[in-house]
Amino acid sequence: MKEVLTMWRHTQMVVLVALSAAIYAAILIPFKGFPVVPGAIEIRPANAIPFVVGLLFGPAGAWGAAIGNLIGDFFGTLTLGSIGGFVGNFFLALLPYKMWSAYFRRGENTETNVDSGKKLGVYFAIAVLASVVCATIISWWVDLIGFIPFTATLVLVVLNNAIMGIILGPILLLALYPRIKRFGLLWTEIMAPEEVSASGLRRVGNILVWIGGIGGAAAGLVIGLTGAAPGGLGIGFVVGLFLVLTLVGAFLLGGREQVEAAEEMMGAEESEPERAG
Amino acid sequence: MDPSLYLDRNTWVHRLDPRTKMFLLIGMFVLPFVFLDPLYVLAVLVLVLFFGYLAKALTNLRRIWFILVTIAILTVILWSIFGSGQTPLFLFVELEALLYGISIALRIDITVIAGMIFLSTTRNEEVAIGLVRLGIPYRFAFAVSTALRLVPTIVATGFAISEAQRSRGLDLESGNIIQRIRKHVPLLVPVFVSTIRSTNVFSMALESKGFGAGSKRTFFLKTAMGWRDVLVLVAFAALLAGAITLSLAGYGELEGFSR
Repeated sequence: MKEVLTMWRHTQMVVLVALSAAIYAAILIPFKGFPVVPGAIEIRPANAIPFVVGLLFGPAGAWGAAIGNLIGDFFGTLTLGSIGGFVGNFFLALLPYKMWSAYFRRGENTETNVDSGKKLGVYFAIAVLASVVCATIISWWVDLIGFIPFTATLVLVVLNNAIMGIILGPILLLALYPRIKRFGLLWTEIMAPEEVSASGLRRVGNILVWIGGIGGAAAGLVIGLTGAAPGGLGIGFVVGLFLVLTLVGAFLLGGREQVEAAEEMMGAEESEPERAG
Repeated sequence: MDPSLYLDRNTWVHRLDPRTKMFLLIGMFVLPFVFLDPLYVLAVLVLVLFFGYLAKALTNLRRIWFILVTIAILTVILWSIFGSGQTPLFLFVELEALLYGISIALRIDITVIAGMIFLSTTRNEEVAIGLVRLGIPYRFAFAVSTALRLVPTIVATGFAISEAQRSRGLDLESGNIIQRIRKHVPLLVPVFVSTIRSTNVFSMALESKGFGAGSKRTFFLKTAMGWRDVLVLVAFAALLAGAITLSLAGYGELEGFSR
């Protein structure tokens, strides 16, 4: 996961962090949500943004989603729970770009423009998993600090993220990818391969993230519904272990192959006019 | 429409160093957790409101009162269901669980109000400077402050695009929920593209001014901790220590509750 630190060397990536965060926070305000519990819980179109900025801007999108969620809290409810929101949204945008290449063989087109059935299927799977991981992190945290029981928040947060990610995400990616590529702002075009983690064990990492995400959510629900103490050792410890598994999996996933693939593609595109000439 | 909570007043709280206000904010996140008895937590709430009165920041409560009330009601209901006590009250609700729910509701509202006071008395530039002075890398603090600064601009752009699309026949109210969600695409894409389009020019402008050229940089905004900051921090530390001592002596507990 070294690219989450090395990306700060690039001024374009720093600016993309700021702009992603601002877009995420700003879209929360003028575009009203669809009420689930009126006045309390809404499904918000802005929830599609982390998936999109993660796949387009990579680690800049991950930091942008985290900071954007925090800034959104600045304009409403800044509490201790905002820490969970920061970390949860970081992973909501991180996991899509980290896991993307785990589903493609070397040589396959790994552009994140969801313009094929396989890419769309991969996107849906990753969007759902990332939503579950984000919800598990947030619910685990607010349960640990004794704010809200795990089972009361998990399903709502998953639905909130996944619904918007599945419905709006692909359309936004199809519309935005060509433009972002033309601007030269894809993270795979800005960063160098040596700045991104290698992915020797990406299949293992992929499996660990799935086990950690789904397992953590399921364990938390079971413990919560069978009467184990909310905020007690049960959920805090058990779900915490699954979250550690998710983190280990994320470290193993890599991402360098996407940057190398983008370099090869740029090289091929540059040599085409030469051959034509 | 300015979504920012900052209130431009000239109080001693506004003049405190941003680091002092950040430490106070963290302290106000910790203090409500010392006690479980709702009466003690209520006393902490009164203290926070008094601090907000001194900072002349309580007018912002008008903007968030609905959130505070909603959070409080939902929290009391949730913990009355998920908690258990010894004294039956009505149906499946026990008195201790209800009191615990009230205590948690007060805790959450205290942290929301403390956050509101912090944002009402601290400018975006001070947040960035405070983060840097606390050792956060400058590039990260720059990203945070830039994002904060751009939010009102993007909100205004969002409203303008929304009005423009509505004048061209975009109807966000009709259709089933999936159709209504999809209709947000003509709003989100222009906002996204118009903002991201400036990235390369923004980056060049930053680098032409030496962004990241050196490891250290100076700032136009000068901040320094004065005697007021030290006094406030010492007073708060004493308050927190006193609260913890009371708690260890057995005060502020909630008997008979189990989670």
